[in-house]
Amino acid sequence: MISVTQRRNTILIKLTLWILTLLASIPLWWLLQNMRDINIASIASYQEGVIFRWVKETLIFVLSALVLSVTTSVTAGFALAVLDVPFRRTLLFLTLVTMLIPVTALAMPLYVMVDKIGLNDNVLGLILASAYFPFGAFLSYLYFSASLPVDLIDMGRIDGLGDIGIYRHLGLTLANSLLGLVTFFSFITLWSSTHLPSVLLTDPAASIMAIGIEAFFSQGSALIALLMIIPSVALYLVAQRSIARGIFSGAVKG
Amino acid sequence: MHQGTNHDSLCVDAGQHCTPWIKIIYDCAVSVRRKEKVVPTLMVLPYLLLMSFCAIVPVIYGALEVPKPSFVNLTGGYDTFLKVLQDFRLGAASLNILFLLLIFVPLMIVTVLVISLLMDSVEIRANNVMRLVFLIPALIPTGVAVLFWFDMVGPEVIWNSSNIRWFIGCVIFSTSVGGWIVIQYGSLRSISQEVLEAGVVDGCNRFQLAWRLKVPLIARYVAYMAILLVVNTLQIFTEPNLLLSTKVTTDWSFNQIAFSYAFSYGDFSGGTAISLTLLLPNIILALLFACYTDFLRKQQRA
Repeated sequence: MISVTQRRNTILIKLTLWILTLLASIPLWWLLQNMRDINIASIASYQEGVIFRWVKETLIFVLSALVLSVTTSVTAGFALAVLDVPFRRTLLFLTLVTMLIPVTALAMPLYVMVDKIGLNDNVLGLILASAYFPFGAFLSYLYFSASLPVDLIDMGRIDGLGDIGIYRHLGLTLANSLLGLVTFFSFITLWSSTHLPSVLLTDPAASIMAIGIEAFFSQGSALIALLMIIPSVALYLVAQRSIARGIFSGAVKG
Repeated sequence: MHQGTNHDSLCVDAGQHCTPWIKIIYDCAVSVRRKEKVVPTLMVLPYLLLMSFCAIVPVIYGALEVPKPSFVNLTGGYDTFLKVLQDFRLGAASLNILFLLLIFVPLMIVTVLVISLLMDSVEIRANNVMRLVFLIPALIPTGVAVLFWFDMVGPEVIWNSSNIRWFIGCVIFSTSVGGWIVIQYGSLRSISQEVLEAGVVDGCNRFQLAWRLKVPLIARYVAYMAILLVVNTLQIFTEPNLLLSTKVTTDWSFNQIAFSYAFSYGDFSGGTAISLTLLLPNIILALLFACYTDFLRKQQRA
């Protein structure tokens, strides 16, 4: 009797899930449908090919900020979880507070600061202002606290590994899924960020894709939207295994 | 380390003949050295520098900017905060934000939990594809999401100011639920299998398993999500700003009002005063989160 209800429930749940998936796929269908009205040539020739400039600026911005944010936050998360860092609790608390501060809140003071150091309208200013990724440090902290057994660290120390050695040989070796995760989330944050770029890059010709596409809203927005989604989807597929394994893997104890 | 003794005795001599503040710096340096904290400090340093540049310095800088004489407060001083808070536009904006907080934030939390719990409760082979489909709307840039909803509801709907709240709510909903489903599904997957088996042995059915075991076990990640959703709603800017052409969403949210001070009136102090006031809930929520979860406690090394 129980197994019958259970089987029925399983089917009901699966059905519900498929219906929800169908609903969630509406935006995708909408994009694909709108593809037909797109004139690629007109997009490429818009303002003498300004789109290629946007692509270039976007790549410089996203890749540099990505490298900077992932390396700094994973290294810091490791040190905070495993090593004796001075003011450890303060740093963790600041990470927590700043993680809850959306970029919009600080855009104005950041604009004035970046302007004062002469990096206004410069992609370097945007990179510096976007590279702080507390969520990555938070994830790394949770991950390393849960997944690096202290015995392993002690063994490493006995074998003569210093702090950096432990990080390189033990921490990073075990951190594949963490790196996938942090990279993915950092990438989608940077790739779709519009607020800070719109404040810091005032010259529309030297802007980034996420801002530039607003010029196409009347015409081929669907193609651009797809172009914007494809890298994120690709990265998701690559990092999928680490994402599925769980952001907080090992952190939830019974 | 191996030269420690020699080095230390030299320095102690030097330290005793110095002025007090040099002694203090010297003591700090020695304690850093002794406890082998140099390398850990260096590993945190780049992160700390970015944190200072992107978060701490802007807040301090903003706080110093507020008391300067400005358009809203000609005499200057910290009563800029009070004057800005008397802005008549804040009333209407609060209603908009409150609407989102009361209707869409709970809706998003429930949706995320229901979908991730359902996915976690059955074995579906196409599970990866499913999560990707849920994620895709969240990867669509906000501007395109606005266009999508235009197309869905028809453009005439948004010329009405009471509809626009629902409209903006839908845009936020479709662009933020997907990412959280992926995250919360991940946290559900990380619950240890033994705990769940124990629950099954104790006679939990699927619903009880989800409600009595899984949800409490991931409670702190749910709390984290709830806090971020609330905070982001308080700070909402892009969505109403993209709808400016309707003339219904000028000064729709707190942040738009802050920006109108800074960029329409050139009143940086007034705008910053609003921005900083908006940070208060963030700090309170962060404190609550830190107190009620064991985030700050050094993990047991066992």
